[in-house]
Amino acid sequence: MIRINNLTKTYGDFTALDSLCLTVKEGEIYCLLGANGAGKTTTINLLLGFIKPTLGSAYINDINVVEKPKLTKNHLAYIPENLMLYPSLSAIENLDYFSGIANKKFKKSELEAFLVEAGLQTSAFHKSVAKYSKGMRQKVGIAIALAKDAKVLLLDEPTSGLDPKASNEFGQLLQKLRQKGVATLMATHDLFRAKEVATTIGIMKDGQLKQQWSVDTLSLKELEDSYLETMSYNSLQS
Amino acid sequence: MLRYNFKYEWLLLIRNRWIQLLSILLLLLFGFAVYNGIQKVEARQNSIEAAVTELKTQETATLSVLDSLENGHKVSVSRWRLPSRPVVIGNSLARVVNMPAKSTAFIATGQSDLFTHYVKPTVTGDDLSMSYTEMTSPVQLLFGSFDLAFVIIYLLPLLIIAFSFNVLAAERESGTLKLLASQPIRIRTWVLQKLGLRFFWLILCISVTLLLVFVIFSFDFTANWTSLLVLIGYIIVYALFWFVLAFATNIWIRSSAKNAIALIGFWVLFVLLSPSILNQLSNSLYPMPSRTLMLNQMRTLKAEATKKQDKILDSYLRDHPEYAINDSTQTRNFYHKYMATQNLVKEELRPVVEKFETQLENQHQWAHTFSWLSPALTVQNALNDLAGTSEKDYQEFRSQSLEFAQQWRDFFLPFMFNNQKFAKSDYKNLPAFAYTYKEDATHLRILGLLGISFMIMLLVFLLKPMKQKISIV
Repeated sequence: MIRINNLTKTYGDFTALDSLCLTVKEGEIYCLLGANGAGKTTTINLLLGFIKPTLGSAYINDINVVEKPKLTKNHLAYIPENLMLYPSLSAIENLDYFSGIANKKFKKSELEAFLVEAGLQTSAFHKSVAKYSKGMRQKVGIAIALAKDAKVLLLDEPTSGLDPKASNEFGQLLQKLRQKGVATLMATHDLFRAKEVATTIGIMKDGQLKQQWSVDTLSLKELEDSYLETMSYNSLQS
Repeated sequence: MLRYNFKYEWLLLIRNRWIQLLSILLLLLFGFAVYNGIQKVEARQNSIEAAVTELKTQETATLSVLDSLENGHKVSVSRWRLPSRPVVIGNSLARVVNMPAKSTAFIATGQSDLFTHYVKPTVTGDDLSMSYTEMTSPVQLLFGSFDLAFVIIYLLPLLIIAFSFNVLAAERESGTLKLLASQPIRIRTWVLQKLGLRFFWLILCISVTLLLVFVIFSFDFTANWTSLLVLIGYIIVYALFWFVLAFATNIWIRSSAKNAIALIGFWVLFVLLSPSILNQLSNSLYPMPSRTLMLNQMRTLKAEATKKQDKILDSYLRDHPEYAINDSTQTRNFYHKYMATQNLVKEELRPVVEKFETQLENQHQWAHTFSWLSPALTVQNALNDLAGTSEKDYQEFRSQSLEFAQQWRDFFLPFMFNNQKFAKSDYKNLPAFAYTYKEDATHLRILGLLGISFMIMLLVFLLKPMKQKISIV
């Protein structure tokens, strides 16, 4: 579970994140929409402990991310916009390495099972990831999350640059994880994908959460209109 | 984490062809350096052996003449060169006082290309006639020697820099750092482990390469295994210093390019500049008196002594009545006067020579005291000590050979002043010289470098700017 209370990050006079409050419960997928510089990535970086908040607090499974960053990371998995792995290692080796340093030890068959579950074709398991497409690398990222048994998944624009098929497959993987009770926070520009996978959608602008809906309460058209309206007028409140 | 870092660091290195390239490079560098060192040592030994062979040939001929003389045969040798004259034996059969190369001499040329390895102190020669002055080609001095010490001190840090400059920055630049940092690990510890493992692999690589090279060049392991261990110990300490520096740079500076520039800057500072600065400072603080003036003073003193030779001889004989009493002929010639004058000249010259030597000693002492400021200098001194080619070794050789020269003169003085002929039976009583290497605890100096490495490490963990969170984004 992710809980963010009044989270604020400023750089001098510039406020990158302004009093953000949100909660992502188990089995929920929360999509943060917004233009570049809206504060989506800052939110994820704060949750990962990559940067320290100026004000407020954030919790992963009720553990304070500022006070116990290392402990928090036992419970979360992260897939950045462009997931980079060690190019001279194969998928299975990358998975073994990242699981290993997170203190998760698996047999080869178990590692292969994670990759299968993440949807990576078996023929690619032992090939160097240097030859992988972005979609394939994202699948290895999902496998790392599966191996870690992470209860929280942080995704920073994971579908940008993916072709529609790969993007669709990625969406299906997220649904699988959701069914397992994983709480997912995804920053994205992709309204269509957000509508398809999310349980809750929030729109951010200038570091503030401007609107928030349960995905069942609005259509894609309504979401698009609201998004454009928020971006244009900056006046609506949820 | 360590187990996985260990396993995958090795795989990553192998697949990047780093280890293969490094191994080949190390093998070539170490191989050529050892070959070069051995060639130099052989040249040194050959020159000593040639001098010894020449002496033996001369000895055989001289003893044959002496034998003929003692048996009343006629010999075709001028009166002045008859071997029954002690001064002839004392000059022509002067011993080859030499400092044989240690079995580890190939490691570091050290001062061996500056100083001689053998002298032949004659009975009429003074201490200064034994040339201890530097003698080498200025071109050789400019370029130095491509020996093992050169590879270790100059080239090894460059290999380490190439091997370690971007451990963290490369992760940041390739994008893997974010995924790494999202794992429950401390990036500082991760970098430390990664560099520690590279250090381990490099030392392993160096040790195997060294063993291989030594096997190729038939190094006597049984007799010199301690020296080999000490050598590897020095390499470990020196490499550790550079890895610690690389660790601090990786933590402090963000980009690969800046890291590389910073580390190359450290290399220039520690390897090139600081020894040179120390040398310049020692020259400025303890300037050497003019050697030309010293030589002029010596010549003046000798000339003055020559004028007073008769008086000096009288005075000398008064001090050494045993010579006057035992000699029935009471004949006094040029050599008696000369030998009597020698001691006086030596005494009078002492302050002049001492002034020169004290300054030299001060320079050495100063450089020695501050050598810890330059890790390169510390390791160079340690390797020179190990190879037996340090300045201290040559000072020791000088001291032992001067002592022997006095012994040699003292042996012949009773013969000369008693006007006693040198007999074949006296030959076996001629003083013999055997150089003994003086071992001391200078190896411990290297521990200072180890201390500096730990201090840098402590700074990385304790200094505020270093303690700051490593930037991931």
